[in-house]
Amino acid sequence: MRNNNMAEDCIYTAKDFKSDQEVRWCAGCGDHAVLNAVHKVMAEQGFPKENYALVSGIGCSSRFPYYMNTYAFHGIHGRAAAIASGLKVANPDLHVWVVTGDGDSLAIGGNHFIHVVRRNIDLNVILLNNQIYGLTKGQYSPTSLEGQITKTSPYGTIESPFHPGELVIGAQGKFFARSLDNNVKLTIEILHEAANHKGTSIVEVLQNCVIYNDKAYAAITDKETRADRQLFLKHGKPMIFGKDNDKGIVLDGLRLKVVKLGENGINEKDILVHDAHQPNPILHLMLVNMNYPEFPVALGVIRAVKATTYDVKLEDQIEKVKAGSKIHTMNDLLYSGNVWSV
Amino acid sequence: MGELKLMKGNEAIAEAAIRAGVDAYFGYPITPQSEVIEYLTYEKPEERTGMVVLQAESELAAINMVYGAASTGKKVLTSSSSPGISLYQEGISYIAGAELPCVIANVVRGGPGLGTIQPSQADYFQSVKGGGHGDYRLLTLAPSSVQEMADFVELGFEIAFKYRNPVMILTDGMIGQMMEKVELKDPVPRWTDEQIQEISGSWATVGKPANRERNIVTSLYLDSAIMEQHNHHLQAKYRQMEAEEVRYETFDTEDAEYLMVAYGSSARIAQKSLTLARAKGIKVGLLRPITLYPFPAKPLLDLVPQLKGILSVEMSAGQMIEDVRLSVECKVPVVHFGRFGGIIHSPEEVLEALEQKIIGG
Repeated sequence: MRNNNMAEDCIYTAKDFKSDQEVRWCAGCGDHAVLNAVHKVMAEQGFPKENYALVSGIGCSSRFPYYMNTYAFHGIHGRAAAIASGLKVANPDLHVWVVTGDGDSLAIGGNHFIHVVRRNIDLNVILLNNQIYGLTKGQYSPTSLEGQITKTSPYGTIESPFHPGELVIGAQGKFFARSLDNNVKLTIEILHEAANHKGTSIVEVLQNCVIYNDKAYAAITDKETRADRQLFLKHGKPMIFGKDNDKGIVLDGLRLKVVKLGENGINEKDILVHDAHQPNPILHLMLVNMNYPEFPVALGVIRAVKATTYDVKLEDQIEKVKAGSKIHTMNDLLYSGNVWSV
Repeated sequence: MGELKLMKGNEAIAEAAIRAGVDAYFGYPITPQSEVIEYLTYEKPEERTGMVVLQAESELAAINMVYGAASTGKKVLTSSSSPGISLYQEGISYIAGAELPCVIANVVRGGPGLGTIQPSQADYFQSVKGGGHGDYRLLTLAPSSVQEMADFVELGFEIAFKYRNPVMILTDGMIGQMMEKVELKDPVPRWTDEQIQEISGSWATVGKPANRERNIVTSLYLDSAIMEQHNHHLQAKYRQMEAEEVRYETFDTEDAEYLMVAYGSSARIAQKSLTLARAKGIKVGLLRPITLYPFPAKPLLDLVPQLKGILSVEMSAGQMIEDVRLSVECKVPVVHFGRFGGIIHSPEEVLEALEQKIIGG
């Protein structure tokens, strides 16, 4: 394999990754902040611009490729994961990123999404989840909340939403992280971890659609109360949160529970310590499913488990088959299989 | 007496469906036709008639929901736009093979690929020549007004059930989005179980009487002799469609020396071009195919003796022109004109093409 990942030779700034295209997302759309984070992370990763390929499907989120000064691919609705899979296995030298939305990846692309996760191809997937179809102007998506009023559910949806984290873990996902569009610092931190992770990494960004689903996440992002409603997970650190850092998560039987430090004799030692590297997904599943008001919403890298990637396994297999093959020359090939003398 | 309303073409399809006693609609949002499902969900058809509306997770899901629902002998409608209709093709081929009735509206936008959300007529081949695999035909209706968007829903179901074959309403973003006066028919109730038993009892999932075998919905016939028989049977239906279902309209053809052939939006534009041309003393007429398959080949051929040239006008690089040429058997020159890729030609541009490519050419 060529090694053109000469990190030390490349000194880039976020500006180098910006394209000259006018960004057409609405003013106030959460996508702008994520775009800036991606520019910054790609620059800091230090790889040459031409070693990046960014693939998207169709939707508001999928306008990303136009705004990147890298190789980019505006694909087919729902198929970004499949297109990126083809791209990565055909050219494993590239750093392949996928930008998709909740409609693109979990409705029409649900099938490709779970299979790319299952195969563990080395891709970085950013899933911008705004719980609505923005580009087609406001119909419900597979992550819209039950009862949500939209253009196609004027009396409230009657469907039960997908939780991306739950789906990723169900599909044997090895990396899942969650950020908020307005927390650029966290998004950057997570995207670096996703980029460094070998295998399919899914980063869900809870993203506000100012036009069709405004304030969808207001309950957890409101300045006054957010410290009590967000839990920042860090591998090896206790799950403590709250304005006064006085709340924590404990395991109570087979369920998670919010407790207050100092109450009922509870101290920091009783609080769960986050282990993102644990292959057993049970606790991670409980963490991704935590929701306000019963729980704070878990942010950060929730699951990051090492495993051999599909692309590495594929190359290994090709090498092994080559080494064990009896065919080394054209003549070997012509005289292989069923051969007759006439 | 019906009700007069000012509506978008897409809304007219939706309202007409409720009034025509349609039982189910399945679809997935795509511009420029999302108003169909939005209107339906807002109108609460489940309360008005008991009609069900479901937003599927993709076009693949939508067309397969149609396939499943159509097997019940009920009236099933779906709508989408070009990229979504491409995803429908597998299902359409199976539905035609399994001989089930349904109506599919394609509010065409410019392609290929994701293309544009602006109107186009570049899905003619896909609809008329068979976008899916196998020897099947899709009876294709081309409305040129909001009124016809409404009327062709009912007509579409009549034909779909007569032949047990999918019917396509091939329209475009211009007619889907524009507002016009439309006379809506009085609502008819949905079919009762007894009526479905009577109309479709021989093939639909209506319970198994003792005197016949169970109904199996399939398009699979592994024995090629049986498969050929099945194909002969399908072909006989298509021949019958060609004999009985051709629909078209003519304007000023009595003394015409030149002819424009145009459908849908282009026909509306060509009507204006016709007025402009006649004002200049040009003896031109217009033939508007209403069914694109079966194509009005005979009426076109019958006009040939009086014609010096034909302008085939369509918002594509030239698709219907092939059927126009086949129809006139090389007896008169046929030239294409049309803007495409989402651009709508103006009546003046059509007139100019007529004067330069046909009369001057």
